[in-house]
Amino acid sequence: MPIGFLVPLFLAGLAAVAIPIWVHLTRKQRSLVVPFPSLMFLQQVPFKEDRRRTLHHWLLLALRTLAIVLLVAAFARPFFTGGEALAVAGAGPREVVVLLDRSYSMAAGDRWESAREAVARELGDLGPLDRGNLIVFDQGAEALVRSESDRARLRTALDGLEPGWGSTRYGPGLKLAQTILEESEHPVRELVLVSDFQRRGWTGEEGVRLPAGTTVRTVPITGAAAVNVAVADVALRRDRFSGRERVAPSARLVRTGGDGPVEVPVVLEIDGREVQRRTVTLPAEGAAAVDFAPMPIGERHTRGTVRVPADGLPRDDARHFVLSPGTSLPVRVFTRAGASSETTLFLSRALGISEEVIFDVNTRPWGAGAANGLEPGQVVVLADVPFPHGGGGAALREFVEAGGGLVVIAGQSGGWSGNEDAWFGARIGAPVDRLERRGGRIGRLDYDHPVFQLFRGTRSGDFTGTRFYRHRALVGSDGAGVLARFDDGSPALVERQIGEGRVLIWTSSLDGVWNDLPLQPVFLPFVHQLVRYASGRGETLPWFTAGQVLDVSDARAMATAGLLDVIEEGAGLEGDRVVIDPAGNPVRLPPGGGPHYLHLENAGFYTMRQPGDAAGRPLAVAVNVDMAESDPAALDPEEIEAALAATVASAEEGAPRSALALQRANLERRQSLWRLLLVVVVALLAAETVMANRRSPAPRAS
Amino acid sequence: MTVHRTRAHTDTPGARFLDPVVLARIDNLDLLARTVVDGFLHGLHGSPYLGLSMEFAEHRAYMQGDDIRKIDWRLFARTDRHYVKQYEAETNANFAVLLDVSKSMSYGSGSVTKLDYARFLAAALAYFSHRQRDRVGLYAFDTELVEHVHPSVRHLDQVLHALERVVPGRPGTLAAPLFTVASTFHRRGILVLISDFYETPERIVEALRPLAGQRHDLIVFHVLDPAELEFPFDRPASFEDLETGERFPVVPDKLRDGYRQMMREHIAEVERRVLGQGAHYTLLDTSRPLDLALFRYLLSRQKAKTSRGAA
Repeated sequence: MPIGFLVPLFLAGLAAVAIPIWVHLTRKQRSLVVPFPSLMFLQQVPFKEDRRRTLHHWLLLALRTLAIVLLVAAFARPFFTGGEALAVAGAGPREVVVLLDRSYSMAAGDRWESAREAVARELGDLGPLDRGNLIVFDQGAEALVRSESDRARLRTALDGLEPGWGSTRYGPGLKLAQTILEESEHPVRELVLVSDFQRRGWTGEEGVRLPAGTTVRTVPITGAAAVNVAVADVALRRDRFSGRERVAPSARLVRTGGDGPVEVPVVLEIDGREVQRRTVTLPAEGAAAVDFAPMPIGERHTRGTVRVPADGLPRDDARHFVLSPGTSLPVRVFTRAGASSETTLFLSRALGISEEVIFDVNTRPWGAGAANGLEPGQVVVLADVPFPHGGGGAALREFVEAGGGLVVIAGQSGGWSGNEDAWFGARIGAPVDRLERRGGRIGRLDYDHPVFQLFRGTRSGDFTGTRFYRHRALVGSDGAGVLARFDDGSPALVERQIGEGRVLIWTSSLDGVWNDLPLQPVFLPFVHQLVRYASGRGETLPWFTAGQVLDVSDARAMATAGLLDVIEEGAGLEGDRVVIDPAGNPVRLPPGGGPHYLHLENAGFYTMRQPGDAAGRPLAVAVNVDMAESDPAALDPEEIEAALAATVASAEEGAPRSALALQRANLERRQSLWRLLLVVVVALLAAETVMANRRSPAPRAS
Repeated sequence: MTVHRTRAHTDTPGARFLDPVVLARIDNLDLLARTVVDGFLHGLHGSPYLGLSMEFAEHRAYMQGDDIRKIDWRLFARTDRHYVKQYEAETNANFAVLLDVSKSMSYGSGSVTKLDYARFLAAALAYFSHRQRDRVGLYAFDTELVEHVHPSVRHLDQVLHALERVVPGRPGTLAAPLFTVASTFHRRGILVLISDFYETPERIVEALRPLAGQRHDLIVFHVLDPAELEFPFDRPASFEDLETGERFPVVPDKLRDGYRQMMREHIAEVERRVLGQGAHYTLLDTSRPLDLALFRYLLSRQKAKTSRGAA
């Protein structure tokens, strides 16, 4: 077995081996003097000249020489280099990080078993000095085992592991692997990525930088192209019929793989019971829509599911949703006393047409007591009404500051009556005529704002066709948020957060007089978005996506989730709450205040009961998989390998040597041969001492 | 090389008094000499040394103070009277010890150095000769005479004192001091030369020639330490010449056999050369008791007397 030396310079001390040899040749003769009567005969005895240089006491010389050699070797710090050549990425203990993709696409066919076997092989190849790490990832990452040498524990971590419900994102897993590899003291570092390599999981901007010397290997997990039918989306169209609210689900199915059209049964389940069944013909690599008949929504937190038969990828075969009877949004529309009904005709009609949010519109002239009963969460629309002064105005301010929403439609008579410009931060100026070139137009919209997000996409609504003949100027609006401007740059829609509430000012009208906006298709959704945003309410989501987190202590988040009982009743989110996950396992949330995050990891229904409400209908949150994960488009694993290899920290001059030096130092430290050598040296010197003292003394003359 | 060895010397009656280690404990050289001689003579009848006898001359009446060991008990059994034996003794002989006190004589691998051994021997021989009514003297030398006591019947004490005084410290040679002795010692006598003879046999013979030419009775005692004879060293070391100070690196394992061979050859050659000069030669191992030395001395005197009688 080849031997290396950590400090070979000490081997120069081997020259000291000549000392005992020289001593044995010379010192014995000089040190011992025997008086003798006469050398007369001794000098005459014939003998060979080299007898004077003969070494004597071979064993004693051997002991002394060997002791010096071993002492020098101990200082030189020897170590066995092993059978493999020392290379920078060669011999030495390894830190191996195995990244296992557990996104739900890995549940297709036999991919998961193949992946587990691949991981088991990687972990089984670990040497006695190697350390293994197992990281599972989908859109997040978790280190199941970290820097473990015990292969049994590594195998145990792999046992019982199942694919998750999340979608693929390589970034978090790679960053966690980077952290582990950077912290490792082992000279050899390896990253093994076991995945089906879906393209959508790789952005190329993961921001990973692997430490120097890291080797990257990919283990692609592929299976036969499975025929997959996924419930890609469910639309819930609401309407009212005979005073009752109904919902008509409509599902979109997508098929991948297979040949020729197939008949696919589609089932609608309500609270776990099949209520409707349809059959749809799906072409190969095609999509189709399935419409279900409208059905009434009787109770809150009604759980619905659209399901197709299980196939190669069963996790996208169902789409869950939660329905509750439509929530009403009280809207108080105030007009001028004596104003005609046409002032608010278009506005009222628009608010009366709604599917998801029911606007409970009350239109009346502003007068005494008009501000009574205003509560946060409601919306007040001042349609062509000056801001009230006196007690009414004060009440309106309090309403806004407490969380109410105020929409001021400037119009002919609208505007501030007192010092509301200071309160709002801008003054509603005089009307401005825009009669040139047949009126002004909307010049710029803030499509990132919730009011106009709906209109971002193509063919989602066009404001440019609207003509504005007159609008009011808004002076000093620098501190307010301008959501829309006319083509002359003057503000069209301005927002300001005041206290807990919001104030939006529309500088034109909504009665079709100063502009033709009510005649545009965008008018209805615009009014809905405007009023809804003013109320501060988020859009109620029928479902969440696996991997999202819900703060059950946040009333607004819970309202978004459709759990409006909490807000309406004002019940505190305290006490011991138990959440049941889709698998039926309890997830206990701690009592007390503060954020309590519920990780929506699995697809299905999470149910939650209020304390002391065992008989009532449990609250439900629907969770679905991210449909993008069903896209089978794969990424070439070599592309990831090359991309990750390019992130490996560049070795500075001498870094390979430093890595090699670390490797050699690590080998030497683990073997510590110098200790054994020193023990042997001590034993040799002890034996030499005993042997030297046993030599008989020479006779001397008296 | 043969070394005259006795049976275990402790088996010889009185032999324990002749052990040089034991003798080294006796501080008084006079007492030591008496102990050695009397012990030797007392155990003479039981000794394994053959060929040595003390000629009986006559009986005389026991007088108070005589050594009761000389009483002839057989005669008393026959006569009921106490008579002591008297032996024939040499009278008026000149006896001198020529003692090498060079530095090399200070060597000893045990507790007794060669010089100590030679001192014991010289003292014993002087005492014995004094008892024989000889005139005893001493000549100690290294490169020259360092001590000399002219032979005289009254010089025993001087001889013993001189023996105690001598200290080895200088290199030595034989030729010059022995020539000086020869020129000083005019009357024919008994000369006992005690040395380790670290010179070539040729130089040794040259040194003895003046003495041999004067027809003295020359008795040579070649004194060596057991380590000089056996070279028992095993550790490589620098061997330092005691007289010259020269050092020589030696690997004993490589030299031992050759050294022993050379030493044997040297001793044999010295013996041959000495005998060729008409002298008596005895190799003495300082680890052995003095009885051999005394035996050889007495034997040599007996032979000398016999040859003079025959002449």
